[in-house]
Amino acid sequence: MLVARKNLIQEKTRFALSVGGVALAIMLVLILDGFQVGMYRQITSYLDHSEGSLVVAQEGVVNLIGATSLLPLGTRAQVEAVEGVQGVAPILSQFVILDLHDKKQPAYLVGYSPELGGGPWEIVEGREPEVDEEMVFDRVLAERHAIGVGDRVVLMDRSYRIVGLSGGTTSWMTSFLFLRKSAVESLLLSPGATSFLLVVVADGQSPEIIRDRISRLSGVDAMLKSEVQANDSRLLARFFSAPVRLMTAIAFLVGVLVVGLVIYTATVERQREYGVLKALGARNRLLYKVVLAQAALAALVGTGLGILLARAASAAIMAARPQFLVVMQSEMAGRAIVIGLGMGLLAALFPARVLAGLAPAEVFRR
Amino acid sequence: MIRLAIRNLFQNRTRLIISVGGVALALMLILSLDGIVRWIQTRVAAYIDASEADIWVAQAGVRNMHMASSSLSSERALEVGRVEGVDSVTPILYLTNVVVAGEERTISYIIGLPEEAQAGRPWIVSAGRGDPRPGGAVIDQGIAEASGIGLGDRVELLGADFEVVGLSGGTTSLTNSIAFISSEDFARLRASPDTVSFLLVRVEASAPPDKIARLIEDQVEGVTAQTREQFSAQERKVVRDMSTDLVTIMNSVGFLIGLAVMGLTVYTATLSRRAEYGVLKALGARNRDLYLSVGVQALASVVLGLAAGLAFTLLLAGIVPRIVSNLGLEVSLESLGKVATASLIFASTAALLPIRQIRGLDPAVVFRGK
Repeated sequence: MLVARKNLIQEKTRFALSVGGVALAIMLVLILDGFQVGMYRQITSYLDHSEGSLVVAQEGVVNLIGATSLLPLGTRAQVEAVEGVQGVAPILSQFVILDLHDKKQPAYLVGYSPELGGGPWEIVEGREPEVDEEMVFDRVLAERHAIGVGDRVVLMDRSYRIVGLSGGTTSWMTSFLFLRKSAVESLLLSPGATSFLLVVVADGQSPEIIRDRISRLSGVDAMLKSEVQANDSRLLARFFSAPVRLMTAIAFLVGVLVVGLVIYTATVERQREYGVLKALGARNRLLYKVVLAQAALAALVGTGLGILLARAASAAIMAARPQFLVVMQSEMAGRAIVIGLGMGLLAALFPARVLAGLAPAEVFRR
Repeated sequence: MIRLAIRNLFQNRTRLIISVGGVALALMLILSLDGIVRWIQTRVAAYIDASEADIWVAQAGVRNMHMASSSLSSERALEVGRVEGVDSVTPILYLTNVVVAGEERTISYIIGLPEEAQAGRPWIVSAGRGDPRPGGAVIDQGIAEASGIGLGDRVELLGADFEVVGLSGGTTSLTNSIAFISSEDFARLRASPDTVSFLLVRVEASAPPDKIARLIEDQVEGVTAQTREQFSAQERKVVRDMSTDLVTIMNSVGFLIGLAVMGLTVYTATLSRRAEYGVLKALGARNRDLYLSVGVQALASVVLGLAAGLAFTLLLAGIVPRIVSNLGLEVSLESLGKVATASLIFASTAALLPIRQIRGLDPAVVFRGK
């Protein structure tokens, strides 16, 4: 181990570059991971904070985000009449594209009834909409575009006045906007339309039993909020897991090559010393161990630095771009160490051939 | 000196492969991310591009299809049809919903098509027919294959059962696929008989689409009319604007990794050739000559890395769609220009690293056997 460490850190610039390369690769893997976890949290934030424990959607629709739901007329009254239902908040939701400062900004528009719920859960400035031409706007999006309470925003050719700014309603993909339900009905030319019902179950009642009762109604599906959240997360994973996995695989290979290059060069440079060790009776297995220890050391130091870099970079990203949520979970560090060790293990294969072919007598020929 | 540099570079093949591979992978990170975003942009606008409509008419203020909603009274179709220069108007219905095929649930754009539609039909029909007609559905071939269903099988759309009567190609993207049913079924299931989503307009042969689009906006109330190219550009812009920050962050990390790999390569190569450089110095070579040798090696490494990175990415672009039905890569000249510039920066920065070593190199070192 001592030989391995000395061999590795003897040339400090080379060691620093290799540790830096591994650290950047690990940082990329962690940021991608943290970004994905952050997206899952952001995508379910509306249901995390909204009223009730059940969601009623059009039959066949199992997501809040991603699919358009339109409930049959009269569904609200039917659900309210189901035994064990304490309250119902109807919402009409739709993705819209805002044109802000020549930028396309997708937003998830929620039409709700302030007296029933389903609206913003944190008003950081101003108030909720009282009339149809008033809107609650996401605070982060407002800050990015220098918009404030009292300003007007055009949505599909209609102008709305911002009367409140909401917190916790942003994500990289989309921000939440809130209008009165009647305003969204008018905007979408869909009078009386409802997308989802948020159902509050009476105290002492089992949400699962009420869900099954509501699902017997014609043309609707009732789900636990947790089921819809899981479906939304799964949907998002379907979109993004393939590109993220691709990027992670490339970053891993880069890490392997960086460590491999350093270990290989260090081994070739020290051929004579390894030859001496062989001449003194050391077996190939011992030399492999020395090389493996070097690779593991470089990979682990790089991984440690990568974890620190990832934390710093994620904080910097979120400060500069608050719409991004990069979540660093403690188990990610464990995964990073496993990945780092994997890099070291594979990298140690590069100089294996050099060691295997090394003749002990070589040292005496030079 | 250049010949010496090249020979030096190629003398140790293992190191060359590792270093070129490292640079190639770092460039591949940038190229593949760009390729994915570009592919999404193309696919998100594919339906519009292939619609055969010269003009898209939407609800006033609606300039996108993706993540947007448009509602028009069906009377608008008649009004648009009366505008001079308009040859045909195809009203389509559209919303995002789930296609349930076997065990698979896929988010899809559901398009309601009238019979004998002049525009907006599936543009590649790999099996069956492209016209869904009542009771029928045309779904994406990749989705059908993934779900193990074919022509004559049943799928669920908008909560109702449909018979698969056609399979379409090019109708899937990262986020969704496209499915076609008849306008009649669509309107019945959504209980909105007098509403359409978009009007797909074809103009007379001699009529310029941009001029007719302006005429439509002037003469028909409550609509936004855009040429197909304008509408498609707006659609691509959504993806571009959404991904800009993310791509910038990822590219920056890829760039730094490339820089570290290249720096490491040139530095270790110079380090291991210390003795040879000492001999050259002893024979009268100036520091400038040695810098040139290092610079040439760095440049040659990144050129090889760039070629390998491009080859890997093109290979990936061929393989990925076969493995993942909703993902692809489109490599563009613009991306190539970007990574070529990054490569030059890698090479020039990396070549600076061993300057101190070369400058401080004692020609006598070679004779001391170090």
